Amino acid sequence: MIYLDWGATSFQKPPQVAEAMMQALASCASVGRGGYAQANKAAEVVYDCRKRAGELFGADTEQVVFTSNCTHGLNIALRTLLKPGDRVAVSGFEHNAVMRPIYAIGARPVICGRKLFCWEDTLADFENALRRGVRAAVFTHVSNVFGYRLPVEKLAAMCRRYGVPFVVDAAQSAGTLPIDFRRWGADFVAMPGHKGLLGPQGTGILLCRNGGIPLLFGGTGSRSMEKTMPESLPERLEAGTMNVTGIAGLNAGLRYLQETGIAAVEEREKRLLKIAEKGLSGKGFRCFFGAHQSGLFSFVPGMGCEEMAQRLAERDIAVRAGLHCAPLAHESAGTLHTGTVRVSFGALTREEEVWKALQEFTKISSD
Amino acid sequence: MKGILFTFRSITTAQRGEELLKSRGIDAVLRRTPRKLGEQGCGYCLTVEEPAGRKAAALMRQYDIPFRRSFRVLGEDTVEVRL
Repeated sequence: MIYLDWGATSFQKPPQVAEAMMQALASCASVGRGGYAQANKAAEVVYDCRKRAGELFGADTEQVVFTSNCTHGLNIALRTLLKPGDRVAVSGFEHNAVMRPIYAIGARPVICGRKLFCWEDTLADFENALRRGVRAAVFTHVSNVFGYRLPVEKLAAMCRRYGVPFVVDAAQSAGTLPIDFRRWGADFVAMPGHKGLLGPQGTGILLCRNGGIPLLFGGTGSRSMEKTMPESLPERLEAGTMNVTGIAGLNAGLRYLQETGIAAVEEREKRLLKIAEKGLSGKGFRCFFGAHQSGLFSFVPGMGCEEMAQRLAERDIAVRAGLHCAPLAHESAGTLHTGTVRVSFGALTREEEVWKALQEFTKISSD
Repeated sequence: MKGILFTFRSITTAQRGEELLKSRGIDAVLRRTPRKLGEQGCGYCLTVEEPAGRKAAALMRQYDIPFRRSFRVLGEDTVEVRL
């Protein structure tokens, strides 16, 4: 098969991820509960992953909190920073994992930047919102629909200048673009373990600067007589039994990225994007490519997007069609009524796969 | 058990301490905190041999690894010590 839905999950993974998980299943009990060998082994695996994530993303070990996915992390971050009625600056390309918690909290989003691939528009709108006053800012590093890479470093600097706490949604950038938590000065950066980080589903990382309000309350294996969650990270935000097997797999994914180099992954995906842009040029599709783009793109085919995706699936080519859980992004780009077909690359995507897929897009269109 | 025992607020901090001390040639063992020494219930501690106690405490302070309390342990007897 040709797998081009890395934006949903990394279906293809380096073999060492499954190996690490099998090993953990056979040797690891639970973290922070017992004092016997298998509990200690579990603690070592989790600590190693936490430390490795800190090294990769510029965070202290204790600032690395394990979550079940990026959405889980974003919910913690947003519930920590926002109260009902708060104004919050968001980009015009946010996922429902950002927007739905904001609506649920009763905060008021201020949409900043609706022009695809346009840093000037994004920065000007954010500056305007911050100047008028917002409680916090939340923005995606890379749009999951269009691959638009937002000017995160500049937005981070702007938020620091205005003293506005901010959250970065790194769902589509973790493992593909550099993330420097310390330098950005973000309050939270949320990422899934199962996309660019090559780990299994059911894992995620939330980088936390200074604690947070727990979403879940329960056992942490420490200070059991206290009625409240521990004050200190990471345990404060990690109630209940940890997904040790998943974290072992995630650790293997992170190790692979350290050995490969995130810069190499970024370069590879840039090349693939260029191939796609060249290959679709003049073929009659409405394609979305731009100057600031990373790892994925969308197009509107001549037929319905779901129909195109279905025909591709019949040819064993995996893409995603529809609104991608990001109606705001589609609204900004003018594709809310058509939806798009999204093609997303990953660390293991090969050039020949992209060429073959492009040929099939054209064949199906002309059938 | 015999030696110096340090208690911690969290297992993660205890693990950081373990890693640091081992990297400096101090044999530190991570274990569950004995019930009578645990504040507010369960927790994890590090034990080192007595001669290394002061050095261990100094290193952890230097590298911002906060331990809660320190004890001299001799079998069943424990005495809190300031290091």
